[in-house]
Amino acid sequence: MGIVTPDADLAERADAPGPAGGELLRVRDLTLRFGGVTALAEVSFDVRHGELFAIIGPNGAGKTSIFNVLSAVYRPQHGSVLLDGTELVGQKPHRTAQLGIGRTFQNLGLFVHLDVVDNLLLGRHHLMKSGFLAGAVWWGRAKPEELRHREAVEEIIDFLELTPYRKSPAGLLPYGVQKRIELGRALAMEPKLLLLDEPVAGMNLEETEDMARYILEIRRRLGISMILVEHDMHLVMDIADRVMALDFGQPLAIGAPAEVQSDPRVVEAYLGGSE
Amino acid sequence: MTVVDTAPSPSSSAAPAGDTLPAHLLRRATATPQRTALRKKHLGRWRSYTWQEYAERAAAIGMGLRALGVEPGDRVAIHSNNRPAWLLADMGIQGIGAISVGVYPTSPAAEVEYLLAHSESVVLIAEDEEQADKALAVREKIPSVRKVVVKDPRGLDMSDPWLMTLDELEELGAGQLDEWARSVAALEPDECAIIVYTSGTTGPPKGAMLSHANLMAAARSSAQVYDTDERDEVLSYLPLCHIAERIISVINAIHLGTVVNFGESTETFAQDLAEVQPTFFVGVPRVWEKLLALIQIKMSDAGWIKRKNYDLWMRVGGRIARRRWKGKKLTGLDGLLYFLGWVMLYRSLRTKLGLSRVRGAVSGAAPIAPQVLEFFWAMGIPIREVYGQTENTAQGTLVPADDVRIGMVGVPLPGAEIRIAEDGEILTRGPGTFLGYFKNPEATAETIDEEGWLHSGDIGELDADGFLRITDRKKDIIITAGGKNISPSEIETKLKVSPFVPEAIVIGDQRKYLTALIGIELDTVGDWATRRRIAFTTYADLSSKPEVRELIGEVVESVNKELAQVETIKRFEMLPKELDQEDGEVTATQKVKRRAIEKEFAELIEGMYR
Repeated sequence: MGIVTPDADLAERADAPGPAGGELLRVRDLTLRFGGVTALAEVSFDVRHGELFAIIGPNGAGKTSIFNVLSAVYRPQHGSVLLDGTELVGQKPHRTAQLGIGRTFQNLGLFVHLDVVDNLLLGRHHLMKSGFLAGAVWWGRAKPEELRHREAVEEIIDFLELTPYRKSPAGLLPYGVQKRIELGRALAMEPKLLLLDEPVAGMNLEETEDMARYILEIRRRLGISMILVEHDMHLVMDIADRVMALDFGQPLAIGAPAEVQSDPRVVEAYLGGSE
Repeated sequence: MTVVDTAPSPSSSAAPAGDTLPAHLLRRATATPQRTALRKKHLGRWRSYTWQEYAERAAAIGMGLRALGVEPGDRVAIHSNNRPAWLLADMGIQGIGAISVGVYPTSPAAEVEYLLAHSESVVLIAEDEEQADKALAVREKIPSVRKVVVKDPRGLDMSDPWLMTLDELEELGAGQLDEWARSVAALEPDECAIIVYTSGTTGPPKGAMLSHANLMAAARSSAQVYDTDERDEVLSYLPLCHIAERIISVINAIHLGTVVNFGESTETFAQDLAEVQPTFFVGVPRVWEKLLALIQIKMSDAGWIKRKNYDLWMRVGGRIARRRWKGKKLTGLDGLLYFLGWVMLYRSLRTKLGLSRVRGAVSGAAPIAPQVLEFFWAMGIPIREVYGQTENTAQGTLVPADDVRIGMVGVPLPGAEIRIAEDGEILTRGPGTFLGYFKNPEATAETIDEEGWLHSGDIGELDADGFLRITDRKKDIIITAGGKNISPSEIETKLKVSPFVPEAIVIGDQRKYLTALIGIELDTVGDWATRRRIAFTTYADLSSKPEVRELIGEVVESVNKELAQVETIKRFEMLPKELDQEDGEVTATQKVKRRAIEKEFAELIEGMYR
C-alpha cells in the first residue's frame, strides 16, 4: 500500500499516464453562474504531474467555487474538467473521490468524536470493498482488508507525525493538529490531485511553517499534484510552482509566483488594493 | 581518607568466545534463539526481535562494514534515535573489532561535523533523512567518512554513491555469522570498544574510550546490585550514546537477558511508557520531575474526594517509605496499610504513569530533590540514586535499597573504589576506569593519575559508613565577594522541586549576593495561567506576565526560608526563552552550560546587580 514509499505505486502512478511533468488536470472554459451572479467566467488552466499549483484572489473571487466544481459539488454551465483524460463535469461527488480527487476543507470536515485512526480510515472508505455484513463480523476478506487499510493509515500517521494523538478524539485536539488530521484524511484517499482549501488559515507562525513543510514533503516524497487556495501570500509565494490570480471569477494571470506577483493587473486588483 | 574496596568478582569463564558483549550476544542467540530480545513499536504495532535475529543482523551489519573496508580499530559513527538498528549496528561494529561512536540525535550539523572529523569515522550509520542531511551539509569537511549508511532512506536521493541503505549493507554481509563469530572470539578485552563523546559544559566534546572490559565491568556490577533477569522489561528512551542508557539497553540487556522496548518517538514517550509498563526504569531527575508534575496537574483537576484520598494515601505511603529508608522491618500494620493504599491509589496512579510493574528504579546524572524521591517511594517505586560518569563507565556509587540517606548518593558499586582528595575532589578507581580520551593524552593525564585514580571534577565527602555526598562540580562552586563557598546546584535543586520551575541558574561568583535566572515549565505554568484566565501566546509572553513573576517569586521566597542568609537568592529574573541545545545553552543531556548562559544573558544578570 506504501503511500509514503516513494518507489511504490503512488510515484509510479504520478508518472504513468503521460510523460513526467505532463498535465494531470486540464480545465477549459469553466463558467459557473448562480442566477445572475457569475462565479467563474471562462476559466482555463492546467495542473501538471507533481505540481503545486496555487490559486489566489480576494474573497469571492471564485477560488472555492473551482474546488467545488472539481469535486463535482457544483455543476458548471459550461466548460470541461479532464483528470487524466476522464471528464469530471457531470460526475457524482463520490465518483470524483474514486477518480482521484482528495480535498481538505477550510472549516475542517472531521468527525470530532472519532479518533485520528478512524477519521483517516474514513478517508479510505471508497477504497474498501467488503460489504457491510462481512465487515460487521470481520469475516472473509474483511479482515485482511482492514489490516491493509490500517497499515496505510499508520503510514500517514507516521508521515504527518500524528503518533502522539492516534487514540485521541479529533475534536479535543488543538486546531493546528486538527488541520493536519484533515490533511491526513485527504491523503488517506490516495488522491492523484489534492485540493487544499486554506490549509493554514487561523494558524500561528510555527504551525504555518510546519504545514508548509508537510505540503512540500507531500509533493517531494509522494509526488502528488496539489492545488492550493490560500490567503497567506508569503506561503503561496514561497512554496507554489505556479500561481493563478483570480478576480471576480476571471483569471488575471497564470505563471511563476514572481511573475504573477509583479503583474500590474494583479497588483491593482488584489495586492495593491489592500496594501 | 576512606577507601572502600570490593574484591572483583571472578569473570564468567563460561563464555565460549571471550568475555565481550558481542560474545555474550552470541551466547544468548545459541542458548535462547527464539526468546524475545527487543521490541519496537512501528506503525502502531509492536514487533519483536528474537536473540537469533539480533545476532544474525548484527553479524550482517558487521560483515557488511568489513566488506566496505572497515578494519579493526576504525571508528564507525551511529547517528540515530533509539531503535533496534542502533543496537544491531553497535554490536555489529564492536564484533569486528571496530569502535562504535554514538552521536546525539539532537546534535546540530556543526557538532556532527566535529564528532565525525575528530573521531575520523570511516562510516556513518544515519537514521533517516534528517540525520543524513546534517552529514550531507558538512560533506567536504568530513573526508574520512567513506560511506553514509541510511536506515530509512525516504526523501533522500539514493543515487548519490556516498549513500547506501542499511538493507543493502546487511545484504552485503548476510549469511556470514560464523565468520563474524570468529572475529568476535578474537576480540581483545582491553581494546577500545566504544567512544563516548562527553558533551562538556565547557569546551569542545572529549571522546572517552571505553574497552570491552570496561563495558563488562559495568555488566557484572549491575548483575550484583540490580535483581533483574530475562523476565524484566525496560523502555529505551534516554539517548543511547549516553553511558546510562547504554548500560540499560545494551550492556545489561545482553548480559542479563532483559527485554528492551523501543517506543514510537520522543513525542509519544508517555503513551509508550504506559503501554510497555516496564519492570525496571531509569530516569534523570528531569524525567521524574515531569512525571510528578503530571500527577500534580491531574490531581488539581480532580474532585475533592479524589484529592482527599490522594493526600491520605500519599501521607501513609510517605511514612512507610521513610521507615524503609532506615532499613526498618515493616510491621504487619504497614503491610496492610500499603495494601489498602495499593487498592485505593498507588495501583491506578502507577498504571497511569506506566510504572505499575516497576520493581527497580534508578535516578542519575544530576541530584534529585528529596521531595521527588519521597513522592515515588510513597507509591512503592524505590528510586535509587546512582553516581558515576562516562570516564568510569558509570561505576561510582549506588544507594542501597534499605539505607536511603537524603543528600547521599550511596556506597561504591561492586569493584569500585572511592577516595576524597586533599582538595575535596572525588576520586574513583576500578575496572570501569576508561582507557583515556581519544587523541587527547594531555586531558587523559589530567584525569587519571599515576596510581590509576580517576579525577571526577566533583567535590564531595565520604562519611564513616562509606556513604558519598556530592557538593557540586569543582568548577561550578561559587565564591562570593564575601569569600563564602556556595554550591549553586544545591540551591538550584531546591528551586526545581517546584513543578513550575524546570530550570534555574544561580549566579554570584565574585559578587556581593546571589541571584538566579529562572525558566518556567510551559505545561504547568500554562495550566496555572489558564485557570486564572490569564491569556498568553508563547513562552516568552507567558514568562513575562507579572502574575507569573509573582508566582515564581513565591517559589524563590519559600526556598530562601530553607537557606542560610548568604545562600538566599536576593533577586531573580525570568529566562526569556526555553534553553535549547541548538543555541548552545544546554548539552545534549540538557545540562546547563553556565558560561554560555552567563554570556548570553549578561545584560539581564548585570541588571540584577545594579
